[in-house]
Order: sequence, then C-alpha cells, then structure tokens
Amino acid sequence: MKIACDNYQVSDAFDELIGPDGHPRPLARGLCEYISGLGEQELAGRIAAVNAAIMTSGITFTVYTEAGNIDRAWPFDVVPRIIDAREWERVERGLKQRLRALNLFISDIYNEQKIIKDGVFPLEVLKDSKNFRAQCVGTMPRFGVWAHICGTDLVRHSDGEFYVLEDNLRVPSGVSYMLENRQLMKRLFPEAFGRYRIKPVDNYTAQLYDTLAALTPRPGQRPVIAVLTPGIFNSAYFEHSYLAQQMGAELVEGADLVVQEDDCVYMKTIDGLQRVDVIYRRIDDDFLDPEAFRPDSCLGVPGLMRAWKKSTVGLANAPGAGVADDKVVYTFVPKMIKYYLGEEAILPNVPSYLCMYPKDREYVLANLDKLVVKPANESGGYGMLIGPQSTAEERARFAELIKSDPRNYMAQPTLSLSTAPTLCEEGLEPRHLDLRPFVLQSDKLYATAGGLTRVALRKGSLVVNSSQGGGSKDTWVVESAQ
Amino acid sequence: MMLSRVAEKLYWMTRFMERAEDTSRLINAVTLMTLDMPGDATFGWDSLLKVAGLDELFFEHYPEANESAVMRFLIQDERNPSSIMTCIAHARENTRTFREVLPWESWEWVNELYLFAKKALPGELDRRQRYEVLQGIIRRRQSIVGLLSGTMSSDDAYQFLRLGRNIERADMTSRILDVSHAVILPTDTPAGEQYNDLLWMNILKALSAYQMYRRHISVHASSTQVIGLLLHDLRFPRTINHCLTEIADVVQALPQPESVMVSVRTSQDMLASANSEALAKAGLHEFIDQLQIGLTRIDTALRERYFRLPEIQRPSPSAEGASDSE
Repeated sequence: MKIACDNYQVSDAFDELIGPDGHPRPLARGLCEYISGLGEQELAGRIAAVNAAIMTSGITFTVYTEAGNIDRAWPFDVVPRIIDAREWERVERGLKQRLRALNLFISDIYNEQKIIKDGVFPLEVLKDSKNFRAQCVGTMPRFGVWAHICGTDLVRHSDGEFYVLEDNLRVPSGVSYMLENRQLMKRLFPEAFGRYRIKPVDNYTAQLYDTLAALTPRPGQRPVIAVLTPGIFNSAYFEHSYLAQQMGAELVEGADLVVQEDDCVYMKTIDGLQRVDVIYRRIDDDFLDPEAFRPDSCLGVPGLMRAWKKSTVGLANAPGAGVADDKVVYTFVPKMIKYYLGEEAILPNVPSYLCMYPKDREYVLANLDKLVVKPANESGGYGMLIGPQSTAEERARFAELIKSDPRNYMAQPTLSLSTAPTLCEEGLEPRHLDLRPFVLQSDKLYATAGGLTRVALRKGSLVVNSSQGGGSKDTWVVESAQ
Repeated sequence: MMLSRVAEKLYWMTRFMERAEDTSRLINAVTLMTLDMPGDATFGWDSLLKVAGLDELFFEHYPEANESAVMRFLIQDERNPSSIMTCIAHARENTRTFREVLPWESWEWVNELYLFAKKALPGELDRRQRYEVLQGIIRRRQSIVGLLSGTMSSDDAYQFLRLGRNIERADMTSRILDVSHAVILPTDTPAGEQYNDLLWMNILKALSAYQMYRRHISVHASSTQVIGLLLHDLRFPRTINHCLTEIADVVQALPQPESVMVSVRTSQDMLASANSEALAKAGLHEFIDQLQIGLTRIDTALRERYFRLPEIQRPSPSAEGASDSE
C-alpha cells in the first residue's frame, strides 16, 4: 500500500489535489510529501489505530437492508480534501446569499405570495408541492427564518466551478461526521496540522447552540433546548445523540414531550413537567404532530404545531420549510435571489429541465440516456435515474413515470463530479466526491468552513450517499501552507 | 433535570449489566462446584433454571436440561432475554440512548464489553474456556462500574444507575444463595458434611465474598453463617441488607419518594425478621421467593412514580374548572 502521487491516474474530471499534469496542486504539495514520507508500515499502523478507534467509539451509520438494520462503521478515507480559503470565501458568501433568499421565499409563500403574483414563480409548482404545509399559512416565525439549518450539496464540475446540486432544508444530516472526521484526522496525522493553517470546524456546535437559543420565547434566561429524535432506529441517531451531547441539550423522543392547555411544551422528568423553549427537531413534518399532520404518528407530539404557532416554543427547522426543498423549486433559486435580494446568484445551479414544461419534457424523454432524472421530493439518492449507467428497461420505466406525473420530475445533465485521491486496496485512486457545507441562520448567518465531503467508494460510481455505500473525507479549508 | 424515559433506561441499563455479571458469577460458581462434587452426587441442571426463573422458557426450546443445553441457554441464547449475551446487547443499546448524560468513555467501554462478548461467546465453550470468558466479562463490567463511580457526579443519572445496580444485585444474590437448592448430595455419607461446606464455600466464591468471609467470620463455611452474612451483613456490598440500604438511600433523595419508600421499608422489615439459623434448617427457598416478590414490588413502585408519568399533569386548572361549570 504505497502512497505516492507518481502513478496516480488523472482522468478528465477535475481532481481536487492533483493537477492535469499529474503533479500535486500547489496547496496539496506539502500533504503529498508528508504522506509519502511516512512510509508504508507507519501509515498502515496509524490507519489500523484509527479504524479501531472508529469501532470502539461506535461512530456508526445505520443501514437499512432486507436482513435487518446493520450498524456499519463510518467509512472514512484518510486522505483529506483541500480547498483554498480564498476560493472558499466566495462559496461561503454564495451559500449565505442562497439561504437568505430561500427563507424570504418561504415566508412569502406562507403569507402574501408576492413572488407568484409578480409572475416570477408559477402557481402550479406550488399547487402540487408535496412539502407545502397548509397548516403554516399566515405564520411568521422569529426573524422570518424557517430553515435554520441548511445542508447544501455542492459538486465541482470539470470546468473547476462549484455548482449547487440541491438544498436540504428539512432535517439535513452529516454534520457530526464532519466533526468526527476532523477529530480522527488529528489523531491520524497530527504533524500535518503544523504544516497548514486549516480553518477549524469545532465551533459548529456552539454556533448551532446560539442559532437555536436565539429562538427562545423566554429571552433573558438560559433556554431549555431539546433535540427531538425519532429514536435509536433512525439512521442518523448517532448524530442526534452527538449534537445533544455537544450542546448540553436534552435528547428527547416524542413521548417525552407533552403540550398542555397553556399551549406550552413540557418534558416529562422525574421532577414532573419542565417547560421546553426550543426544539431542534430531527423528525419529518409528517410525523411531527398527529393533531396537525399524520394522525397515526407515534413519533411526534400532539399539539406541537399549536404551541409553535402561538410562539411558546421555537422549532428548528420550522414546519413547512421543506416547501423550498423540492428539486423543482430548486431551479427557481437564482430567480429568487434576484427577486428578493436584487443580486445575481454567486453560486450557479446545475442547468435543469423541468418535465412540467412540454418543451423540456420532450428534450428529457429524447435524451434519457444522457441525463440524471430526479423525483422532486426524494432524498438519500433514492428514486433517481442515472442515464448513462441505465438499462433500456429502466429508461422505459422512467419515461412512463415522467409522462404520468411530469410535475414530479426534473432532469440535469450528468456532471462529471470532481475526484480526489482516495486510499484503495491498490493504493491511491481517484474517486468522485461532493461536498455538503452546513449553513445556519436565525439572528445571524454562519457557514461551516468546508463541510462534509462524501466519496463514492466504488470505482467510477457517482453515488456518494451514505445510505448507498458512500464514505467520507476530512475537508480542509486552508489559508496557507507553512 | 432528568427525563423519565432516560431515568428508566439508565435503571435498566445497569440492571442488564449487573444481570450479565451475576449470571456469569452464578455459572462460574456452579462449574467449580460440580468439579468438587463426589461421584455419586448429582447437580440438578433443571433446578438451576428454576433458580434463575427461566425453566418454563427453557423447555419451550430444549427437550432436556443437560449441562451443555443449560449453559448455552444461559450464556448465549438470544431467545433468552436474560442470557448474558442478550443482557449485554440490551445494555449497549440502552447506553447509546443516553450517551449525553454519562462520562464520554462509558459508551466506548460498554461497547468494548459487547464486542468482546460477541467475539467470545458464540460457539461451544468447554468448561475451561467458559470460565475464562466469563471472568473476562466480569472484569470488563467491573471496570465500567469503576469508571462510573470514579468519574461521574452523584447526579440524578448516577442515582438511577445505583438504584438499578442494587435492585438487580439483591435479586441475583438471592438467586445465587438459592443454588444450594439445586445440589442433591447423597444422603447418609460420612463425607456429606464436608461437601456441604464446599457447597457454601462456592456460593461465597461466586459473589467474590469468600475472602471477606474468612477474614471477618470463619474459616469454615457453614450454612447458617453464610446465610447470615449474605442476608444481614452491612459491610459486604453484595449482601441483601447492603443492597436494600443503598436502595433506601437513593430513593430517599429523589423527589417525592414516599410511595416507593413504603415498598422499600416492607422488604427491609421482612429481612430484619429473618433468622438465619432457622432458615438454614428449612424454608430458605420460600423465604427467597418472598424477597424476590418484595423486590418486584419496589420495581413496580419506581415505575409508577418516576418512569410512567401520567399523560396530563395540569399546571393551570382552568380547563377543568371550565368544563365543571358547564
């Protein structure tokens, strides 16, 4: 297992660390020298120690399979991805701009709907939106913010530019792995941290705490904050528990909470009922409150919507925020930015075709073998067609799906996701990756330095989702090499 | 601030852990005991199941209670909710749900115990391996107890851990004491008395109590004295009296403990009136039954008072008042 960049196969895709000439990019030089200087044995020993640490510290991700749920150790690649801090500065501005516009959009949609009246956003898209919540109409949460925590997926195309693939505004996960990856990296390559000035990520939980605390209905006293989880069987349970622990918040399940006649939310404790000020909920809208949404939900809290609408409790993310987390709505974000902020979008969208428009649909149906087709409201990489890798049979099935429900599908050209050297059995090989930074908004805006880099571990694969076998890397936003 | 659900999980997490440890102790004691027994003595493996309260469930799955079947059932069978493996797996799952209230390493240590058990327990264990593996489990579990008592504030979470540990320990000590019931010694042998001593010595060893017994009580293990020690002695941490005193201590400090204290006092009174000399002659098994019923009563009282809050506790009585006046 030799780590050397000499015989690394550069492909057509943009590589994050190695230039087209096969030599490390300027910022990656120090890292490549350092790793290859370690020697095979030393490196293998360190990797074994880190893998053992991952096992015992139980950094796991639950994967649902037919044979039951498997707790898999988090697949972690030891070669970090490096991003230049000057480049990141622009991306960060773009992410914050996007979230500001998205929150203005959600507020508008549940209130005046000016953007529809002004003909910028089509009413028919809203009409069939699966994540529009009629229960939220007429509500205005504190600071006009609905999506307090946003995980935006970025990919870098072969032109070297970052494109926004989608915004996750419901219950985006992965941030705990970003934090754990950095901890693992510090154990693995402590010396490398002396060679680079790397922007820290550890302050995320403190920022998240501040974002949530700003939502308290009882300012002036230390707010009682709870993380609401569906429970241990959820794939992101590790993260829920991790964030609660890091913020000193209570980790609660629906059955731990009760809404009283005073429309306040209480936790059941051994001392009786204790009032809760802010809930970071990690369960979907549908299950949040059986009084308002699915009556059969036993994960949620009856009356929670009532409490939220009376502003006796802060909810993050707010119910209904998912209306902007729709792959069709996504295509309108650059227009929203222009409409609400009067600015040009800093980060480009991936060009998209909306099947609801006849001309676009015709093009999509004729080019299914070249496009990626996505349903409007799935997550985790489910229900997609990746044209170039599909069979004729799959394409025929998707053609039918699109024709029967055009509003629900959009298509994008297959981007060549960038690659980075990843440690595989034979040594370093390029693997495709994406990036999920996390952006926070309540009274302030904050974006993580970098984010979670997800890697498609199979050769040639473009699917990076952890639920589909992806792995991850530490992401370094580097100010300079020393 | 302690969530009711978390309090209950903490309580059950230590109960499971303690049960895994004490079942390991019980099995090691029995293994040593059978090695010492004369050729014509028999060990009632089915009685061991009765002692553990698992005989009915066992016979649903196995035709005959021989040594290997009983051991498999008690140690690794996942169909037995009290098998060592099941208990450790439950304890680990529970620990995952409240990592935020425990010292950070606790999860790693519990997980390490689980990984050890998962690796060591499957497959046929011969007597020698069995002993080694179970010692390994006891040692790891003891290091977790040490970690918690050495690094955790005596907050509510700690009190519920202490509570679960002592209830389960009292229960398991009583069951280990009851093992005497499972050994059928040949009658009218001159050596009978000597084997009787061996039997009680092994019971002490199962509880790691033999050395303390020798230091403080006697070199010979007699039934009256062993029963007396395990029921009444306050100095040794695995005696019923010690466990009940710990339970009373914890409960008294919890919010509004009155209903639970009533059941704790009932058990303490019953214990105080027990005469070890009389019990050594007859009635030990029945007395132990009564003790276990008392512990179940405490468990029920805890559940009603702290774990299952009634859905509605109204801070403002206005709504009720309104409906009354209509």
